[in-house]
Amino acid sequence: MRKHLSPGLVLLLLFFVAAAALPFFVDPRGHLLRVAAMALLFAAMAQSWNIVGGLANQVSLGHAAFFGLGAYTSTLLFLRFGISPWIGMFAGAALAAFAAALLSFPTFRLKGHYFALATLAFAEVLRVIANSWASVTGGPVGLSIPFLGTKPELFAFRAVSSYYWIILALLVIVCLAFRLLARGAIGYRLRAVRENENAAEVAGVDTFRVKLTASIISAAFTALCGTVFAQFTFFFDPDSIFALSGISVRMAMIAIVGGLGTLGGPIIGALFLIPLEEVANAYLSSAAAGLSQFVFGAILVAAILIQPRGLMAYWPKSKAGRLARKDAKPVTPATPATEGGR
Amino acid sequence: MVQALVDGVLLGGVYGVIATGLSLVFGVLGVVNFAHAEFLMLGMYVAWFAWRYLGLDPLLGSVLSFIIVFGVGYVVQRTLIERVLKAPPAAQVFLTVGLLIAIENAALMVFGSEFRSVSVPYQVEGYRLAGIFISAPYLYAFAAAVILSAALWFFLDRSWTGRAIRAVAQDPMASALVGVDTKRTYGLAFGLGVALTAFGGAVILPYITVSPTIGGQFVVLMFTVVVLGGLGSVAGALVGGIVVGVVQSMSALVFPIQLQNLCLFVIFIAVLALRPQGLIKGA
Repeated sequence: MRKHLSPGLVLLLLFFVAAAALPFFVDPRGHLLRVAAMALLFAAMAQSWNIVGGLANQVSLGHAAFFGLGAYTSTLLFLRFGISPWIGMFAGAALAAFAAALLSFPTFRLKGHYFALATLAFAEVLRVIANSWASVTGGPVGLSIPFLGTKPELFAFRAVSSYYWIILALLVIVCLAFRLLARGAIGYRLRAVRENENAAEVAGVDTFRVKLTASIISAAFTALCGTVFAQFTFFFDPDSIFALSGISVRMAMIAIVGGLGTLGGPIIGALFLIPLEEVANAYLSSAAAGLSQFVFGAILVAAILIQPRGLMAYWPKSKAGRLARKDAKPVTPATPATEGGR
Repeated sequence: MVQALVDGVLLGGVYGVIATGLSLVFGVLGVVNFAHAEFLMLGMYVAWFAWRYLGLDPLLGSVLSFIIVFGVGYVVQRTLIERVLKAPPAAQVFLTVGLLIAIENAALMVFGSEFRSVSVPYQVEGYRLAGIFISAPYLYAFAAAVILSAALWFFLDRSWTGRAIRAVAQDPMASALVGVDTKRTYGLAFGLGVALTAFGGAVILPYITVSPTIGGQFVVLMFTVVVLGGLGSVAGALVGGIVVGVVQSMSALVFPIQLQNLCLFVIFIAVLALRPQGLIKGA
């Protein structure tokens, strides 16, 4: 492991240390810490997405499905049976992993647009179910988690800083998982699938199994994030937790703006986008309804057009940076469309 | 039962036109336009304003929708979509999703969040035929959809531009070699695709209210239709539209209204899994 300690990794470790120290320097109940916690949570979500979206290039537009499953499972277990969300979150992760496996069977052959469409529809199915199966899910009004003061065993705290540290720990774990996966044998197989699935299959990679493993791990982590989100915000409803633009797209967008398939990408993306959105919300939402969301959409369009490899491309030593420089040098002025037409 | 079948066919014909636009864009440009339903919303607003301030019936206003949205689509394609035509699918997906969010919220800012509907004299009228009630707005919208489809077929089959569009869809390089301006053709095809959808949006205005979020209700429907008919197949989209319309009105007999879309989603995933090339081959 030691020989892999690149400057980027050192920077990442320093970032985690600095992030862990942040609550000592700002108001532990303040708004700033809430925003920071949200940014770290979205970083963890984007990193979870990155496992399947970045490493295997299976662009999912339905990760809100797993996020919502996590939030609903732990919250319902707690509200109905008094089971601590600490246990509930792993039940949620297990359920999400199962759902991911189930979804893999009809979608594993799908690529690119088709995969994105199928996952999008899957999240929509869950949203419709959560809305209409009111006797179990509480229906469109959503679920509220009662305020309990500080009860660590029930995942309830008075101070924002406690949630903040839990979220940070989750982010560290997801990042660790991402790195282990990316560096391990499965990472090479996933990259082989990404570059050329048929060639990978011929070379003896069990592509279905590799993708299945990645999507199960990705879904489980996303569900953990869902539980933490529910506990942190105390309230959620079907339309917000299974939201296409609010959750599914945002997870992917953070990873893409930061740098698809890179370890640091989701963190940089979240630290850039979530505060930006917060500022946009604070200053623009009073100006006109929809303006902040409009800005969000416009940033996504701009990010894709300006630097499709994400902010990581500006870090010269990263792979994204090398690839971006390669992009900048066109091979021939007019490359024929080999992929687009058909 | 027969009643539901008739309603389904009438609804589905319009779904067909709406989805034809999406299919055309994919067939020619190779881009799945996630923002497509937003152009439906724009078309509906154009028709609504034409009704409110010019006194135009939405069936006539739909022509205006077609023209205006065609222009918007052409500009969007030439300035944004064109730049990701050769990019990997992920970039295309996110560009159009970004566009979806931007257009929806721009509409929210400009038009406000209230629901708007038109009132036309034939709104609640209908014809009785052998015990079946045929709703006038459904029938007129269906007729308009059929006329436009015929016009589209004629255009693609006979006109020089239509042939150029089909040529570019088959082989952009070869078309460029024989003198087709491919960039312009891509722009025209995209404009035409979104204009068809906008037209479909306008003709359903007599029975569906418009709001900035109306696109979201049509996204999955549209994609289901297109996937059923085969992505990129224009004729398939029309058939797919009618199938979806019938499924939708039939399922309304069995399931409560909230679960109607659920049926659609399940069909959608099933079709993607079993026959991603579409139920109807060729065309």
